[in-house]
Amino acid sequence: MTTAYSRRRMLQFLGAAGLGAAGLAACAPAPKETEPLAADDPKANEKTFSFASWTLNEEAGKPVVQGLLDTITTKDGLTVNPVSYPYNEYLNQLTLQVRGDKLVGAAQLDIAWLGALAALGKLRDLGDAAKDGGYTSTALESGQYEGKQLGLPWTTGAIGLVTNKELLSRAGITEFPETIEDFEAALVELKGLGGGVVPYAASTKVAQLKDILFWMKTFGCTLLDGDRVTIGDDASVEAVTWYKKLYDQKLIAPDVDRFDARALFGQGRAAIYDDAIVGKGAVIKDSPDKQLADKLDPVARPVLKSGDDPQAQLWGHVIVVVEGEAANTATSFARWLTSDQAATDEFFAKLALPPTTEKGLASDAVANDPFTKAFSERITKTASQNPFWRFPEYAQMETVIAEQVQAVLIGSSSPADAMTTAGEQVQALVK
Amino acid sequence: MTTATRPAPPRKQGTPAQGLSGGAFAILLVLPGLALLVAVVLYPLISSLVTAFFEQSLVEPGRRFVGLENIRAVLDSDFLPLLRQTLVFTVGTTLVPFVIGFALALALNTRIRGRGFLRGAFLLPWLVPAVVTSFLWMWIFNANYGVANGVLEALGIVDEPEAWLSSPGTAMAAVIIAKTWASFPWMMVMLLAGLQTVPPELHEAAQVDGAGTIRRFRSVTVPHLRGIIGLVLLLELIWNFQHFDTIYVMTGGGPAGTTETFAVAVYDTFYKGHDLGRAGAIGLLWMVLLLVLVVGYLRVVDREEKA
Repeated sequence: MTTAYSRRRMLQFLGAAGLGAAGLAACAPAPKETEPLAADDPKANEKTFSFASWTLNEEAGKPVVQGLLDTITTKDGLTVNPVSYPYNEYLNQLTLQVRGDKLVGAAQLDIAWLGALAALGKLRDLGDAAKDGGYTSTALESGQYEGKQLGLPWTTGAIGLVTNKELLSRAGITEFPETIEDFEAALVELKGLGGGVVPYAASTKVAQLKDILFWMKTFGCTLLDGDRVTIGDDASVEAVTWYKKLYDQKLIAPDVDRFDARALFGQGRAAIYDDAIVGKGAVIKDSPDKQLADKLDPVARPVLKSGDDPQAQLWGHVIVVVEGEAANTATSFARWLTSDQAATDEFFAKLALPPTTEKGLASDAVANDPFTKAFSERITKTASQNPFWRFPEYAQMETVIAEQVQAVLIGSSSPADAMTTAGEQVQALVK
Repeated sequence: MTTATRPAPPRKQGTPAQGLSGGAFAILLVLPGLALLVAVVLYPLISSLVTAFFEQSLVEPGRRFVGLENIRAVLDSDFLPLLRQTLVFTVGTTLVPFVIGFALALALNTRIRGRGFLRGAFLLPWLVPAVVTSFLWMWIFNANYGVANGVLEALGIVDEPEAWLSSPGTAMAAVIIAKTWASFPWMMVMLLAGLQTVPPELHEAAQVDGAGTIRRFRSVTVPHLRGIIGLVLLLELIWNFQHFDTIYVMTGGGPAGTTETFAVAVYDTFYKGHDLGRAGAIGLLWMVLLLVLVVGYLRVVDREEKA
């Protein structure tokens, strides 16, 4: 006897399975906050854990961080499983891992992302671990969220302008301009060099268009006043109008994000670009110009009126620990990585990333490094936090603003309309 | 005394396992595959679609039932631009490679020299992973160091580098070119296989009747290939309607959303916007449209089987 199954019967069968799946999906629990394990719970002291880091995905930084992991593995008998994603994808992937309780251990985090990850309610308060770590107060603040020390600071600095002294000098610029007006004139001089030189490799791709926020601040926009978003005011519109003018005059170039800017700068095809201190290593490593390191010069961002404070965005990495299994071990690891003198010395020697401890900053290598010194004095000194970082929806806000600025650059929206829209959309995300 | 040997009872035909009816056995065979289908495809799919009815964020715990609010919000704002861009991309990346693939299939179906080598060589773009192809074309079209600008400047066609991927007028065309390069070999192979099934006697008979090359192409080749052309076009339409890699790598949906398709919008809304409900709503509408294409495909397959 054979049994024939019609397509209709098969579809009924699949429909029943689908209904079952729908029921399960509708009843699936939403993620909850993680309760901390008791300090003496053996699970919290497990010797195996993961360490997520975007630096492990970058050619220049990978061997250095892997070397540090190898050191702690040998020293303390730990097993550290490295997890890595490219920087631009990192927050998304890490959020999914932490949200789904798939990451056991510690993670490197950009200080801008602390609010977003903290909102998941799964990060450990590292206040006790930070107490006698010898960190500077500025560095410690970069790892705090709503009164809790959720991250131990690994490196702290700022994002500012980096120039190629040789190109500036060839264009007859002996002193870096202080005001926006003079800066624009200097860019025109640099354009005159020809040979495809991009005067200022400013970000024009959505991924890093957040850099424009500090030009908005330069023009006088506060970005946020209490919980009221001020993007859309005259200052922000002026800033974007000016940026569009640079774009139209080809003083800044299309298709540029941080990585493109580094590539252009490294090839000697860009005279000025925005970067954190970490960019130095990447730019030098990939450059055909072996003398490029000597030509790098960090400068203060030009101001609207002489005497204004130059604007720069605080920048840094912290190490966070996910509550739960191996959390005690991961906390000790985070503390060692960020405050052990030998570990921070090696990190600075190989990647030029300044340490976050008083002792580390006072070491000869750091205190006497001309690039680090100049970067600290001209850029980090006046750097401030991005006011949107405190919102879990920061990444969303940044994307909204970047897309509106891009719409202005390509001419599909006016600066006034785009900034009004950006302001309204960001305001809707403020909760 | 004789012992009569009782004949063994006849074995039931059509009952593969003792104690199970044919239907039950069939269900037993299907169950592992069905369980896998439910776990790997149906559950994640339905789970994603269910989020369309909730307000839910990627970065905050908890969710709230909002009914059709997310779907209404998408229909009121993003839907039409997304549909238009998805259709432009889908039709462009189906028709352009189809024309190129068909032309090459016709050429390679003749007795030209190096036919074997060319058949292999034209397959190469198809063997390269989509992400690699996309990066390759992204570099070719890069405004600052791309090969396209270098060649055009050297030939004196443009004076200054063009921002191919950052201009609304050229970004979609650049993406379609990249996808065409990756797609045409598959179409070429399928159509070439179809061409080889056309009986040469039909062409000979038509030639005897005085039909020229174009007439034979229209009246012999195309009718014979109608089935395969329908399948190839429908399959490409379905795949391109869902395509993600090329656009995401080359433009990320930009500039200012001008190359954003449903696939990229779902990703961006989920990962960059962290808005799971809205992403689910876009996905739901996208799936409904996709079902229309799938039903069309099933009908073509059905018709072919009956023929």
